[in-house]
Amino acid sequence: MRFGDYLRDKWLDIFLFFFCGGVLISMLYAYKTDRSLIVACTLVYGTGNLFLFFRDFFRKKQFYDTLSDNLDRLEQKYLVAETLKKPQFYEGVYLCQCVYDMGKSMAEYLGRYRQELEDFREYMEIWVHEAKIPIATLMLMYHNSGEGDVKKYTKQLRRLDDYTEQALYYVRASHAENDYLIKEVSLEKIIRKAALKNKDDLLENGFELSVENVEKTVLTDGKWLEFILNQIINNSVKYKREEGVPRIRIWAEESSRRVRLFIEDNGIGILPQDLPRVFGKSFTGENGRLRAKSTGMGLYIAKKLCRSLGHGIDIDSDGSTGTTLCLTFANNDFYRMET
Amino acid sequence: MEQITIQKYNQITAEKKPRILILEDDAAIRRELFTLLENAGYQGEEITDFAHAKENILAAEADLLLLDINIPGLNGELLLKELRKETSLPVIMVTSRTSEADEVLSMSYGADDYITKPYNPTILLLRIGAVLKRVGSPGSQPSYRGIKVNPAKGVLVKGDRELSLTKNEMIIFLFLLNHQSQIVSRDALMTDLWDNNEFINDNALTVNISRLRQKLSDFGCENAIETKKKQGYILI
Repeated sequence: MRFGDYLRDKWLDIFLFFFCGGVLISMLYAYKTDRSLIVACTLVYGTGNLFLFFRDFFRKKQFYDTLSDNLDRLEQKYLVAETLKKPQFYEGVYLCQCVYDMGKSMAEYLGRYRQELEDFREYMEIWVHEAKIPIATLMLMYHNSGEGDVKKYTKQLRRLDDYTEQALYYVRASHAENDYLIKEVSLEKIIRKAALKNKDDLLENGFELSVENVEKTVLTDGKWLEFILNQIINNSVKYKREEGVPRIRIWAEESSRRVRLFIEDNGIGILPQDLPRVFGKSFTGENGRLRAKSTGMGLYIAKKLCRSLGHGIDIDSDGSTGTTLCLTFANNDFYRMET
Repeated sequence: MEQITIQKYNQITAEKKPRILILEDDAAIRRELFTLLENAGYQGEEITDFAHAKENILAAEADLLLLDINIPGLNGELLLKELRKETSLPVIMVTSRTSEADEVLSMSYGADDYITKPYNPTILLLRIGAVLKRVGSPGSQPSYRGIKVNPAKGVLVKGDRELSLTKNEMIIFLFLLNHQSQIVSRDALMTDLWDNNEFINDNALTVNISRLRQKLSDFGCENAIETKKKQGYILI
């Protein structure tokens, strides 16, 4: 709260102060009152009013400055009422009560909203688990039937499974608080699982997959990491080059502080101007748009999951000769002692 | 006379078939699991009385249990915990629950493996085979027509002759040997190879099989591996 602004706001009070003071003094003069009494009256009138003026200013300044200061520092500004001391003036009390009521209503609204989201998340979890049962049954049915070209059916089932999984992890990524479990996980095992899951797609597209130097453990949630790898491999298959032999190379590098896992392909790559945005929601990029069937959600979800788990995820591509993804896992002794 | 021996042989093999219990509430998937197990040479057995699941499992004295987690009126993880107090029966959790916490909990309660739906049926069979082998006769050495197989050293031994196989060839040979006289699809072989971190492609599989054939015939086993067109291979 600035003094100048306060003065401008109080122009009528100030005008009346001088006007009434002038009229009073003129009246005292007109009645030939004693000079010393005029001076005394002026002093009393002046100091009294000045005192009131400044008292009001500083009381308000203190309150409003605290208010705006707290507002600046708060992330959830609707909680500001909780941070204020009860002001010394009526307007302030009244305002505080209003702000408090607003905050309360906001919190209730948010709570209801949050509950709805939580219900939705729970429902999604159950829904995906339920949906996986008929998918699993169909997989078994095709396998048991043993008829000629089972793969064309199971391929579609896998796509269906991938989409349900993506929905599940989309929800999990947005409400990560209590859904993951970090422990020591073998990179080799997770890579094997992701590779097996994509085996038919990789073989059908003639991929050469090489996995080297991954006999390491990292601290992560195994299931989440498997999903992330699955998204990355899916992308490599989706954006393979039409000519030549498509390749995926996976390897890890370990230092005292971290383990880095690289997944490199020789696909169509990502244009430099698109690189900073590949982790954005629904982003498909110039190269992506040239191919059908890009939801642009895979890397977005992967990035969110990585953020929750505390892993780094970086992407590099020169726009024509392939893409390299790098996942970074911290070597945190604190967790190791815990587990 | 011959008839009787064949009958007797069948009886013996029927008795030798490992018995696998299926505890799964979804009837359709239970049927398919049953068929899968029967086709793979196991004896499947469905448990449908969930209220007395524990008693039924203990009474069945089977070789392995496939256990779902979400069963009406029953929590598979808790059931496993209860079972472990009384039996060391191998248990593979087969579930649509995909959180790491469920897996960790199941394993800590003593599950032998944890597989999430939907699974690759070949992988499920591989896992069942691996668990049964682990608890059955660890250290027993497989053999084929008088040839002893040493998977750890990667060699076949016949008398004083040794024949070394590459890792891929050994994986393929062991898989064929475990399914001797059955047709084995290329996909099943491929799955087993990938499951052993050998991510080879179709051409490499063909090359590996013909090399394995060559090596076996050098060792005196002519035409050991037959090709069944569009179906796969069979070790005779």
